[in-house]
Amino acid sequence: MYGGGNTFEGIKTDSIADEDPILLAAFEARIERGEKIEPSDWMPQLYRKQLIRMIEQHAHSEIIGALPEGTWITRAPGFKRKMSLMAKVQDEVGHAQLLYSAAETLGKPREQMIEDLINGKSKYSNIFNYPTFTWADCCFISWLVDAGAIVNQLANAKGSYGPYCRALDRICAEESFHLKYGHHCVIYLASGTDKQQKMFQEALNRWWPPMMHFFGPSDKISAHTEVLMRWKVKMGTNDEMRNQFLDMYVPKIWELGFTIPDEKLKKNETGKWEYTEPDWEEFKRVINGDGPCNKERLEVRRIAEERGKWVRDALKSPKAKYVMPLA
Amino acid sequence: MNSIDPRVNRLPIVEIVKPKAPLDQFGTYEVFVEPKPGKPFQHEGAVHAPNLEMAYILAKETFTRRFTCSSLYVVDTRDVFVSPLTEGDQNVFDLIEESESANGTSDFEIYQLSKRGKQHVFLGSVKASTPQEAIAIAKTKLNTGKMVYNIWAIEANKIRFTTEEEKEYWITLPEKKFRDASNYKGGDKLKQFLEKVKA
Repeated sequence: MYGGGNTFEGIKTDSIADEDPILLAAFEARIERGEKIEPSDWMPQLYRKQLIRMIEQHAHSEIIGALPEGTWITRAPGFKRKMSLMAKVQDEVGHAQLLYSAAETLGKPREQMIEDLINGKSKYSNIFNYPTFTWADCCFISWLVDAGAIVNQLANAKGSYGPYCRALDRICAEESFHLKYGHHCVIYLASGTDKQQKMFQEALNRWWPPMMHFFGPSDKISAHTEVLMRWKVKMGTNDEMRNQFLDMYVPKIWELGFTIPDEKLKKNETGKWEYTEPDWEEFKRVINGDGPCNKERLEVRRIAEERGKWVRDALKSPKAKYVMPLA
Repeated sequence: MNSIDPRVNRLPIVEIVKPKAPLDQFGTYEVFVEPKPGKPFQHEGAVHAPNLEMAYILAKETFTRRFTCSSLYVVDTRDVFVSPLTEGDQNVFDLIEESESANGTSDFEIYQLSKRGKQHVFLGSVKASTPQEAIAIAKTKLNTGKMVYNIWAIEANKIRFTTEEEKEYWITLPEKKFRDASNYKGGDKLKQFLEKVKA
């Protein structure tokens, strides 16, 4: 997980005008040829800033995303499920480490990113601000939120920044089991008792709106978006990603006899999915801190950070020095 | 806090984290992995750690938790000497002056980047007295004429290698089937379910 619907904002495209035109042309030509950009290469400020923002958000989403699933480890139904869930949650935290390292090569130290997460300056995937009431909620995340994330990650792995692509290749390979595990769990609920079926249907009803939010609002095709797409920072519009997800997973959900809580949901003749426009006011409200779990998620992170401080202090050595990782 | 998870509610109240001191962070260490015996080591990424020994442990968890390997080593990022990075048809070896000096007594591990976007892969070892000299000697001894965009030289005695006994770490990894996608065969159960629904 969980690179979802990134928000790119705050930087004016005009900043490109200040860049050295010769270096910029060489940079764009390299991307055009399909070559990757490496940390020591010249890159425009806008490219650097947007990539830091994107990779950092992705890393935070892995860390925070471990919480709603992690809470079910002690209550997982049976030893096998518990082993799987533990391994999955451990993976997500490991993925955050890979992503923080990739973001660091662009010049923002990891500790700064962690601090920005805790003080609320940086965002993470909005979907993790919702609670997992039952085991079925946890299964929804394992199967469908991971599925959505994989759609995004496979696209981003073809981007232009070398360290991010390498991290994503590893992440995607490790996540192949998450998706299969999640589907496995949901098949068991679907073919189980009435109570189990009902439990997943209720989870689906709860999670569908945030799942539609996951890919972000329709992009306004601005000069800004075009530049980011040309530079292969953004690999597809939010709507394209959402459509791809619906295309792959709606039939699988229907197959299991569940109902998706959107009467307008259907595939039209052109192969595009039609749906009720998600409530973007709620999306904005939650992303700005007013969701059911925002406070809890950050508080848990903050307490973990504070409680681990004495360990870090005890280990600290004057010989170790922070430098930017190589690649 | 008012969480639906009782364990969250039991968390102690802690003081607000003060802004970190600017250098309240660990050093960075580069991680190299040998995927299987006989395959060359390759660069995998970096970890943060207070020292080389902790870096080794964290590297093992981060990079070989899921995919097994036959050996792994770590080195302080500052101990990796990095050549310029070239592109197009500019071979980085062409920018380096050859050297055949035979006075050096330190071993250096040489890594090359042969395709942009890929990982650095082990090229060979040379004896030299400085990393600059190691790269120059690598040009004479290891350069095959194939395109190389970037060279790293690492002094072997700065590396935390895996010992013979430690190689056992990875033996049981393939037994952990619960981390394997092929362990989750839902197909039969799904088929059964679909047939039942039809009937």
